[in-house]
Amino acid sequence: MRARSTYKVPNGKLLKIFLQYDEKNNSIDEINITGDFFAYPEEAIELIENKLKNMLLEREHLLRKIRSIIKEHNIQFIGLSAEGLTEGILMCKT
Amino acid sequence: MKEQWRLLKTGFDTAFANMAIDRAVLVANSGGKVPPTVRFYGWIPPAISIGYFQSLTEEVDLDACKKLNVDYVRRITGGGAVFHDKELTYSIVISESHPETPKNIMESYGRICGAIIKGLKQLGIESSYAPINDIITNGKKISGSAQTRKLGTVLQHGTVLMDVDVDKMFSLLKVPNEKIKDKLIKDVKERVTSIRHILGKDASFEEVAEAMKVGFEKEFNVKLVEGKLSNEEVTLARKFEKECFGAKDWNHRR
Repeated sequence: MRARSTYKVPNGKLLKIFLQYDEKNNSIDEINITGDFFAYPEEAIELIENKLKNMLLEREHLLRKIRSIIKEHNIQFIGLSAEGLTEGILMCKT
Repeated sequence: MKEQWRLLKTGFDTAFANMAIDRAVLVANSGGKVPPTVRFYGWIPPAISIGYFQSLTEEVDLDACKKLNVDYVRRITGGGAVFHDKELTYSIVISESHPETPKNIMESYGRICGAIIKGLKQLGIESSYAPINDIITNGKKISGSAQTRKLGTVLQHGTVLMDVDVDKMFSLLKVPNEKIKDKLIKDVKERVTSIRHILGKDASFEEVAEAMKVGFEKEFNVKLVEGKLSNEEVTLARKFEKECFGAKDWNHRR
């Protein structure tokens, strides 16, 4: 299933997510995170996209995973946050 | 004696060459081969640059660009889509370890924007920094910037609007909803301004460049000495132009 969302991160930038997901398993097949935010280093977004593959589309799961990637790789967002990203991903399903 | 930084005035170039030069200077500076560098430049033909994370076809009407002879390019910096037409574009490249570079990214945006604010003051325009990455005057945006940090080096580039054609801009950028396009255009017209609009007359590119030069010198307490790209930078820029910014793979990657 293909889906997309546009989400204005509170106090942040406009996030546009393109998601391909497995309806039966409620999990991510492929995700594209786009928008006018900043991420340091920039390669972090591709890393997050890869690490989110096969993740369950469930708030706590996603948030915990994104936070752990951010921490492990020392990623800094400006105009985006782990919460905002999670919200944008889940909005694809609504 | 004041520290001397290099000033580059590379004139008007294509979007691909412009982005390639900024990246070449970043690489050269990271290798310690060139001093901290401030560059002023313009765009011929006019062009849209999109942020590193943006989807090209989502943001830009490629057919309209072709029809109106407007180039488009993906930047190595994040941020949003910008229509570069009547503006002065600046870039600054400086080591992360330079004492004048705040370690904190947001602080460094503020510091570099401080140079633009001082430059605008030279032109008689009062302005202030509006985080994350804008400079506003009378509540309206007159400058926007984007920063990346790679190889231990900061590159920030941004625009100083000399004049702005919001209608043309919106004929090139895609809007999420055609029905609200007129309202969006009206909103942006109310939120964006330019040197021409504030002063009630045109300022030349040279005048604005001179003012910005003074702005950077005052903000960082340095002397900007006009120089040229090194041979290595020229070679690197040609390579980046061909392999990266001028390549479909790069511009369409998202």
